[in-house]
Amino acid sequence: MRHLLDRRILFFGGKGGVGKTTCAAALSLAASRAGRRVLLVSTDPAHSTSDVFETRVGPIEREILPGLTGLEVDAAREARRYVDEAKRRMSGLFSPAVLEEAARQIELTASMPGVADLAVFDRMSDLIVSRAGAYDLVVFDTAPTGHALQMLRMPDLLSSWVTALARRRREGLEARDLAAGADLSAARRADPVLEILEARSARLSALRAELSEGDHVAFVLVMIPERLPIEESVRAAHDLAEAGITMGGVVVNRVLPEAASGPYFEARKAQEQVYLAEIERRMPRAPRVIVPQLESDVHGLSGLERVSACLVAESAPRG
Amino acid sequence: MDASEFWRNVSDVFEGMALSGHRRQVRAAAIEIEDLFLLMCFMDLMGLPNPGALYLLDVYPYLVEEFHLWHRRMGFDRSPLATFSCC
Repeated sequence: MRHLLDRRILFFGGKGGVGKTTCAAALSLAASRAGRRVLLVSTDPAHSTSDVFETRVGPIEREILPGLTGLEVDAAREARRYVDEAKRRMSGLFSPAVLEEAARQIELTASMPGVADLAVFDRMSDLIVSRAGAYDLVVFDTAPTGHALQMLRMPDLLSSWVTALARRRREGLEARDLAAGADLSAARRADPVLEILEARSARLSALRAELSEGDHVAFVLVMIPERLPIEESVRAAHDLAEAGITMGGVVVNRVLPEAASGPYFEARKAQEQVYLAEIERRMPRAPRVIVPQLESDVHGLSGLERVSACLVAESAPRG
Repeated sequence: MDASEFWRNVSDVFEGMALSGHRRQVRAAAIEIEDLFLLMCFMDLMGLPNPGALYLLDVYPYLVEEFHLWHRRMGFDRSPLATFSCC
């Protein structure tokens, strides 16, 4: 899947425990070694990027290796940061009485379920839209599949919501001007609410434009040769096609190596062959790579390098 | 007052009558649109999920006054929402 190294944005998704973090880290390593400036972002609440690299990554962008920066997004922290930022922006603009009342509404909103997801989404869109210049490739190591796909649908959903709000606001202002007998051809005094809504709407449009660039963005599905991960990946592939997001490829992780022998391994390998054939049959167009089960689990550079080599191999060796 | 001035005054009176009815309608329409906007912004207070809640945080202070006008218009002397008491 060497072609993925030229993309600008990659998402790694798959069922929990199949090795998304390892594969995302290995591909990021390969890209940084190929001279690209890479940002590896984990949005999975159960962060393990630090463990894979055996170094602390954390919620602030930090260079792990030359050309490879890591970031583990902390949802609660992002929600807090977003709320504090909103409060700071409005602090000089209103009387203390208004601020006190608004602050209650703000705190209430910030504690609603789903706000942490929104804050993570906001951080992701910030990385995609505003920080794109600082990196050649941004790799998102996402939470298990369903969640990741929901994140990718969020721009459309939010965009239609914010656009509807802005339209209502504009209509309301026009109707009020009309009722007051104001000259509609004259420029209306600026409405800060409409300005905020339109700025949000523009940012979401920029994000959607970025994500719909077919050549820049791809989603990589990681799975292991077992029933449930395959079923989930097939569903995810279908959803991706529906959302118009390119499927960058399929990584079949932890396939038993040829060398494993004995009746137990022979039986398991026979079963794996059935599943590998099924993956090929049900996702025929996706580029496919196979990463063998290694002798020990992957953490630290040497293990990652081996996985890297498998990921960027030109053709999939058949296990 | 010559005849043409007289007729101009008559025409002004009729235009004013016609427009005042029209204005009342437009004002009512404006209020409806603004209320719909407020409802969309405060959906979470009504127990409905608000998909863009986070994106509205810095809009809320601007809406405190409009919210106040709304509940007065609806016949509530005080804010009907415990979490949003503007007066």
